[in-house]
This record gives sequence, structure tokens and C-alpha cells, in this order.
Amino acid sequence: MHLIVNGVEREVDSAPLTPLLHVLREELGITSPKAGCQQGGCGSCTVLVGGEPRRSCLLAVATCEGFEVTTVEGLGTPERLAPLQAAFHEQYGAQCGFCTPGMLMASHALLERTPSPSRRDIESALAGHLCRCTGYVKIIAAVEAAARGDVASDQREPSLADADPSEPDVLIPGSPA
Amino acid sequence: MKVVGARLPRYDGIGHVTGRTRYVDDVRVPGMLWAKALRSPVDHAGIRVDTSAAARIRGVHAVVTHEDVPRNVYGHLEALGIPGDEPLFAEDVVRYKGQPIALVAAEDEDLAAEAVEAIRVDYDERPALFDIRKAADTDAPKVHHWGNWYPHFEGEMDRRQIRKGDVDRAFDQADVIVSGVYRPAAIEHCPIEPQTGLAVPEPDGRLTIYSVTQALYFSMGVVAAHLEWPLNKLKFVGGTVGGGFGGKVDTAADTPAALAALKSGRPVKWRWTREEELLCSSTRAPWHMEIADAVTSDGWILGRRMLTLHDSGAYARFSPYGLTKHSFHHTGAYTIPNLHFDGYVVFTNRVPTTAMRGFGVTGLSFATELHVSRIANVLGIDPFELRLKNANRIGDTSPNRIALPDPSTVPTILDIADALGHELPAEYRTMTRDRRDGELLPEHLVAQLASTEEAH
Amino acid sequence: MAVVAHSAPDLIRPGSVDELVGAFGDGSDSAVLGGGTVLVPELLHRRARVARVLLLPPGLDRVTREGGRVSIGAGVRVSELEDGDEPLATAARHLADLEVRSQATVGGNLCVRAGETPRGDLQAPLLALGATVRTVGAGGERDEPLEDFLASGAGNRVVLDVSYDDAERSTGYAAALRPHTHHYTILAVAAARRNGETRVAVTGAAPTAVRLPSVEAGGSPADALDDVHPQDDALASGWYRRRILPTLVERALSSLG
Repeated sequence: MHLIVNGVEREVDSAPLTPLLHVLREELGITSPKAGCQQGGCGSCTVLVGGEPRRSCLLAVATCEGFEVTTVEGLGTPERLAPLQAAFHEQYGAQCGFCTPGMLMASHALLERTPSPSRRDIESALAGHLCRCTGYVKIIAAVEAAARGDVASDQREPSLADADPSEPDVLIPGSPA
Repeated sequence: MKVVGARLPRYDGIGHVTGRTRYVDDVRVPGMLWAKALRSPVDHAGIRVDTSAAARIRGVHAVVTHEDVPRNVYGHLEALGIPGDEPLFAEDVVRYKGQPIALVAAEDEDLAAEAVEAIRVDYDERPALFDIRKAADTDAPKVHHWGNWYPHFEGEMDRRQIRKGDVDRAFDQADVIVSGVYRPAAIEHCPIEPQTGLAVPEPDGRLTIYSVTQALYFSMGVVAAHLEWPLNKLKFVGGTVGGGFGGKVDTAADTPAALAALKSGRPVKWRWTREEELLCSSTRAPWHMEIADAVTSDGWILGRRMLTLHDSGAYARFSPYGLTKHSFHHTGAYTIPNLHFDGYVVFTNRVPTTAMRGFGVTGLSFATELHVSRIANVLGIDPFELRLKNANRIGDTSPNRIALPDPSTVPTILDIADALGHELPAEYRTMTRDRRDGELLPEHLVAQLASTEEAH
Repeated sequence: MAVVAHSAPDLIRPGSVDELVGAFGDGSDSAVLGGGTVLVPELLHRRARVARVLLLPPGLDRVTREGGRVSIGAGVRVSELEDGDEPLATAARHLADLEVRSQATVGGNLCVRAGETPRGDLQAPLLALGATVRTVGAGGERDEPLEDFLASGAGNRVVLDVSYDDAERSTGYAAALRPHTHHYTILAVAAARRNGETRVAVTGAAPTAVRLPSVEAGGSPADALDDVHPQDDALASGWYRRRILPTLVERALSSLG
């Protein structure tokens, strides 16, 4: 059977009942969707199928025949980040990063259908996406920033030139700092 | 100190948002096999194991049991004097539901799971203990070969104890004794990335292990100890962890994957399922804490008697260390000069417990704060004022006589009062963290003060 | 490298209901794939052991209103019910999250295996609506009250559609709330009143949704505890469910006016 993955037509040999997640990761080498729970409970496997966000761990690949599948790799690259990706980076919407691909795909789908989402809209779109690191606040801030277009246009590597030049108070008497 | 307070991008942020960050499960090696574990379905039993049917299945390349482990019983903290008690794979007894008995490496996960089902185990079930309060009952099931609680603290003591000042006198002098019992439950780390290990045999006889560990050199030491290898035969690749929170120090997947790789001669990946994570991975320990404080009617806490039972699960793992930390902090953010603390590491037929964010101390903070609020309630004193009076200050000493150089307790409490719009009388509003004197240094707090040399 | 689970069942795509029934056989080693939200993980984790999996044939994925009846095909996605009749719409809106309920089907929701953590959130609202379910299997086609279907278990029959009278009703729905936006239903009560007849059903107090006859007969909310005996499971204790059930019954009934 065949899929169109990130714009490229791909032939798939995996057995028809193989979850799309494993087809993407094992057969096609696209590892951004994650096997967090393999039960549809965590959202780390979410990709777009026909533009709609779906749990790739719950989809038998045979039911995706001919569909366009979009993963994070299809959103942008380090050299050309999508505004949503840049927003997640700037707003610290990722810590360990494991939930991030799923969060990005669900957020991307939300912004496509609702360009100016309310906070409730964002919460509803991400309701099935678990994060154990961030506490969600900065993820939501990232989606709001992307929706506002509040995203820097360039990505630089961190450097000490960015550091605050004023010294902090030295609170510990005798501290070597 | 120029970067403190600066807003710097994460060095791994671009990788995260482009899906390029490479976690252990994202690593692909040609010829890789997949592993599945046989785990005990019962809480406590003698076992007899026959793996022959599994090994015969086509596509199965290795079945690993305790017989394949050069050193099966190794304690993670043997270097700290905590003797080893936990087998990597169960030998003739299982002590918790989910305890690993064998690992199968096969061409795919489904085949490995089928082979696991073909392993024959006879379970001779025994009574199980789950309630730490019953561990000392004469008819309690016997959980551990050392007895039902850890007996190897320094001097072969069976408890961690803190004695400071004169707690009997404090209780005599008290106007009120305020007691409470606190029982925080186990918490599961539940990282979104499950435990995963990938072991790759190298042509020169070494092993490369892709690990989710939070502690690379530590886990390297654990694997080397089980294999009885020198450290330089191992190469660990790691540092990219999909959430650990203390649950990925236990080196859960690396050694079994390594043994399967050595036995099969092929790379082996062992990826836990979410069910294994929730049922079989280590958790934060549950505790049972009993606190009795001797207090004066004007709100000084003169002394504390405390008993902690720490549920270690079926093996000691890190619990003696966690309980020791717990004992050092058992007065919380407050200075209590007369102390009588006893803590026990109790064994139960549950998954061994481990570190989780503030190992030994998080549940304790819950208890100490509730207890201070309880005291305020009993005495009819404003809970902020009670806290400010007893708060740690520069020059106070902790339960284990560490001089406190710069505790932020007082400014923190004042900030909270501000944030809540809580009015405080002037003498409380102007309190600082400075070394106690005057009214803040009643006679009973003099002896616990650090000397000015100690405090710096 | 292709992923082939070596014990994978065959996948069959019947072109018609007759072909589906023929391939399904007595159901002992067959399973029907609706959306896959329940079956795919069960296959992956080796809990469902079947020789063949059958897709739904075309034509079972529509909601129709004809002849005074609303009919929902087994292949209709749960998300399609979100703006429909109450109390079904509220239950649909709260089922899992938007990704899962856009994939999950009504048929699958009626056939979830009894005894696992409560699933089948649509069953109680459909019971309140007095729904009947049309199935095929041994002995041909059958149309029966939903409560009879749930009691006998879906094992050897294929669900085609579920229907209820297209009529005015007052309705109520109350569920145990949890502080997450997405949570499995612990306990929920669905109620509907039409022409003086009240139907009340509960999710999470039994292996499938069941009606509460004592409450329907005019009893107090506490009488619900005579009808069901909630058990412990991974999501909540029987004790907790027993404590809050009367409150949920009261809230659901209060919406009926």
C-alpha cells in the first residue's frame, strides 16, 4: 500500500494491521512520533492524517491507504522553523521534549482550523496530550504566541553575549563568586 | 555568574521542536532484536522456571535468566555501605508482582512476547505483606531475608535515629503536646518516555549501551558490577532522557538488555510498555509518619518526637539513603532544638521504591507543614506568626547539626503573606533571616545555635 | 525494514453487510474494526487473539432521521454526535479527547468488553433515549432493546446501527468531574423524560451501562444503590462510586424539570 508522508509518496510493506506509528518509526525511519503508551492515552504519537490530528498508535495502517500523513519533520527544519516551532522554542514549551512532537501536531491542526484560539480552545485541542515536565503553562503560552504572530524571525545559538551583564548579589559571605 | 538570571535558549530546543532529538527508542542499529520480559504475576512465591520451550522458538535468539548473570545480586549503593540484596533476575523466589524473571530477545516484539508466554513457571504462593504498620507483628509474613526492616545502618542498627538536646525535658516543659499522623501515598513518576535500553555488541568485545539513565557513570558502574567487567569495556551513550524525575536512576533496562546482547551476539532493544511502567517500575515511597510536638502556649516548638516508617518495597535499593536524608530534614523549615527521631526502612511485597524529586523529603515537607498548621490551630495562633517565630535562621542548626548558612524561610513566608494580602503585626513584618537574638532567642534555642565559625 | 508482527491476523474488507456477516462467522476468532481505538491496542498487546479482522463495509457511517426514528450507523464517529441529541451529545463531547473521538465509532463503543475500566460512555445516554440496536449474526438480523444487547454481550454478533425515537424530551447528564481536561469517565448518569416516562442509566457502576429501575419508578436518588453495586477498578473505588452516585442521579434528574 502507499502513503504520502510529508509530501513524499512512500510504499509500505508492513502488515495491514500494523499501527501507523510503527510503520512511520520502524519502516520509514520517521521517529518524531513517539511510543509513549501505545494505547492512545498520552498523545505523543499524534500525527496529521488528511490534515486531521490522530493517534498514530491507534490507526491500523491499512485504514490510512492513500492518505497524506504529516509529522513534525514536515512542519519545518532547524534552518527554517515554522512559526509554531519557533514559538515553542522561544517560550520554553519543551523540557525533555518527548511530548513535543505530539503537542506540535495537535497545535498546528488547531491553528489551521482556528487561527485565533481562545485559551479554552487550546486546552481542548491539547486535552489528550500529557506532559510530565512543563506543567503545560508554557506550552499554552507557545501556542498563544504563535497565534499572535509573536515569534522572533531568527534563531541563534545561545551565547554569553545574551547574558545579563549585571552581577547578582553575592549572598553567601566568603563565597568564591 | 553572568548567566544566572539570563534568558538563554535551550541547547536542545531546536532538536525538540523539529523532532530530531534522538531518544534511545529512536536509535536504529542493523540486526537489532527486540526484548520482552517475563514478570511475576504474583506478589510473593517460590518459583521454578523452565525456559526451554521459549528458547526453541524460531526467531528467538536469547533467553536470559539469573543463570546468565555473572553477579546477579548487586546493591545499587554498595559503595555507600548498603549491602546488596536485590537480584537482577529472580532466582528461586519472587517478592513483588512484576519482578523480572527472564528476558527474551527475538526478531520482533510480538514474537518475543509469544516466547515469554512459552516459559513455564511454577509459583508456590506465600502470604504477602503490604501494610508497613504490620511489619513488626509476630504473625507478619516474612518479606526479606534480612527480616522485615533494614538492619544495616551504621553499627548494624535497625533504624536511622537522631537524638538532639533533651526531648524529655522539652515535653515536661510544654504547655501542649500536638500530635499528628501523616501517610503520603506512593507516586508513580510516569515519564512520557518509558524505560528503554539498547545494548550493542562491538567487534572489539565491548558493549555500547544507549541508556535513558539520569546518571550515566552510575549506571555504567551498575552494569559493570553485574557483568563483572572493567568499566572500560562499556561505552554508555545517554543524556537524552524523556523525563526521569528520579525514576531513571535504577538502571532498569540496561543490564538485562546487555546480557541478551551478549548471549545473542546481536543488538538488543528492550522498551517497556506503559503497563510495565505503571505496574512494575519503581515509585516514590509511601510513608507513615507520626509526629508529636511539645509546644508552649505562645507558640514555641520546644521539641519533637517522630517516628517514620519508609516503605521500601521488596528490596532496599536506595531507601536507606532516602530515609537518612529524610531524618536530616525532619523539622522542615523550622528550628526545633530537642529531637527524638526514629526511622525504619520497612520491606513489603511491593515494587521497590526509589528516588523521586526531593528524595525522602517531599512527603516530609507535606507532613511538617501540615503539622505546623495543626499547632497554630490548636493554640489559636496566626499560622504565619507561628511559622515566622520558629523559622530557620542564619546560625540555627539542622537536626543533624549542620549550621544553616542562609535559610530563606523568613523572607519566603513574608512574601507569601504579601501575595495573599495577609496582615501581620509590625514585629513580624520586619523579621529577617539574621541570626537569632533578643526575643527571637529564648533560652531553649541557645544550645542549638552554631558557633559563628561553624555558620560560615 | 517492514514491521510484520508474525502472528498478525488477516485483514478482510467486505464490500457489503452480507460479506461481512459471512466472513465474521460465529465470531469466535473474528473481530470487527470500527475506528480501532479499542481493537488496535488490544491486538498490539496480545489481549485480542483473532484469526481475522474485518473492516466495516460502506453504508454504515451515516446518521439518518426518517420515519420518526434517528438511526446511527455503527461506523459513525463519536465526534459526529457532539452537536446532536442530548444526552448523547454531552457524553460524546467528553469522550477522551478530540483525536480519539474523531476516530472512535459508535459501534465500537457499544461493543467494548465488559469488566475493563469503564468504557462505552455512549451506552448510558442511548439507554436513556430508549434505543434499540440492530445486529446480524447467527439466526440473521435482530433488533432488540439496547439493554438486552448489553446484557447478553456482543460476542457473536455484528452491530449495524442503533436507533431511537426522534422526539422531544427533557434530558439530563451528570458525571464525576476530575481536574484534568481529559479523563476517563468514572461515573456518569444519563436521564431522559418523555410523555411522563423517565429513563435513567449509569456508566461505571457495572460492567456495562445499566438502567436504574428504582429511580425510574419514582424512587429517591439514594435508591440507585439498590440497583447497582459499583466495584473497585483502576480508576476509582467502589466506595467512592457508591458515595457519589446518588448525587449524580439527583443532578441528572434536576435537569428534567
